[in-house]
Amino acid sequence: MSKSLAASKKLMQSYLSELLNEDVEPKLAPQAKESSVLPVKEKQAQPLESLLNNASLLQVAQEVEEAVQTRPLSSAKASNKDLFEKPQVKTKHVKTIHNDAISPSIKSKAATKEPNVDVSVKKADEIKTRKSLGGFTESKPLSYRQGDFQAMFFEVAGLIIAVPLVELGGIHSNNKATPLMGKPDWFKGVMLHRDEKINVVDTALWVMPEKCDQALLSALNYQYIIMLNNSEWGLSAEKLIDTVTLKQEDVKWLDTPNKRPWLAGLVKNRMCALLDVDSLIKLLEKGANIKQD
Amino acid sequence: MSDERRNASERVDINDEVLQWVTFKLDSETYGINVMQVQEVLRYTEIAPVPGAPVYVMGIINLRGNVVTVIDTRARFGLESAGITDNTRIVIIEADSQVIGILVDSVAEVVYLRASEIDVAPNVGNDESAKFIQGVSNREGELLILVDLNKLLSDDEWDELKQF
Repeated sequence: MSKSLAASKKLMQSYLSELLNEDVEPKLAPQAKESSVLPVKEKQAQPLESLLNNASLLQVAQEVEEAVQTRPLSSAKASNKDLFEKPQVKTKHVKTIHNDAISPSIKSKAATKEPNVDVSVKKADEIKTRKSLGGFTESKPLSYRQGDFQAMFFEVAGLIIAVPLVELGGIHSNNKATPLMGKPDWFKGVMLHRDEKINVVDTALWVMPEKCDQALLSALNYQYIIMLNNSEWGLSAEKLIDTVTLKQEDVKWLDTPNKRPWLAGLVKNRMCALLDVDSLIKLLEKGANIKQD
Repeated sequence: MSDERRNASERVDINDEVLQWVTFKLDSETYGINVMQVQEVLRYTEIAPVPGAPVYVMGIINLRGNVVTVIDTRARFGLESAGITDNTRIVIIEADSQVIGILVDSVAEVVYLRASEIDVAPNVGNDESAKFIQGVSNREGELLILVDLNKLLSDDEWDELKQF
């Protein structure tokens, strides 16, 4: 089993290297661009290392690593206990407050505070673009895209995945999930937890279906369900690693729309994927796998 | 409580109708079908195979002089086939104005469920069999999968069955 785990870890490393390499490709130096017109056979023979050497990302990563050595990361290993049964703040109660209940004096205060003038001016000056007319969905800026933020790292089949703590809905123990007929392979089933129904995702099958052979699947030992934000979706995880405070420069961000909307970025020093939880939820709700099929 | 509020809560109760479901087991999962569609439950009897029948048809049985087609429920639900045991039952149901039998591992009980206790199943998967699921419900800590028998077969398949 250890052999298969080691093999799967190796696979994962190469998988992430490919991911990194793929993103860097447009930024390659001219000689790298030349290599892209090489015949397919030669292209395949070209070692991964040479491509990585050309990648500007590595230089950035090295610089960051040097910086980290002189100024250590403020890593805070949070105990897993804190993460369990994280209370979910619901805003429903706020909605129940009616205007009638507000006393007239408060109402008048609120009215004086409201800055209405700017809005009309803005609307008049608004330039209509293709984007504003629809057809394009503007992605909401990620809440953790400024300042330091905490991320939790977990492991699935040797692959380490990070999830920003602000988008972590909670962690549950893995219990029996009832499979439903006609659902994709990666949909493990519905797990009951305190009268809630959790849609459990087989993370290995979702993230790397092509690498999930029978040996890997049978070696998987899912222990936890990582809840995604306030959704009903949960990712299966084998191990919880730790929680680390990351700086913006610790992550290679993928801010521009790309073919992997679920990927917010890559954590440089751990060479692992940082999930864009909201985009991932959207994909799961569409029933799409990692290839968005 | 004001009259208006009381009326509102009564209206909610009326909408929250109670339905009875016959539950059966397939593999290790529990499924439920609307009791109004169940005519009777039979012990397993010899099912005569029909040459050239569609794959989902196990064969036919003679039910008091009437020929009833029996559906291979496991195959229909995408489950591996299993042997016949003492608990195996043929549930005679009426769906799409036809009487058919469905072979199940065992029949469990009749449960009462309020409409509010039934949740929709996650809408993922384009597989044909995903359409059979009418909803899911938490029944004493166990998930009950409610099956829409009318969608068990497609329109063409129901038409095909009429020819038997």
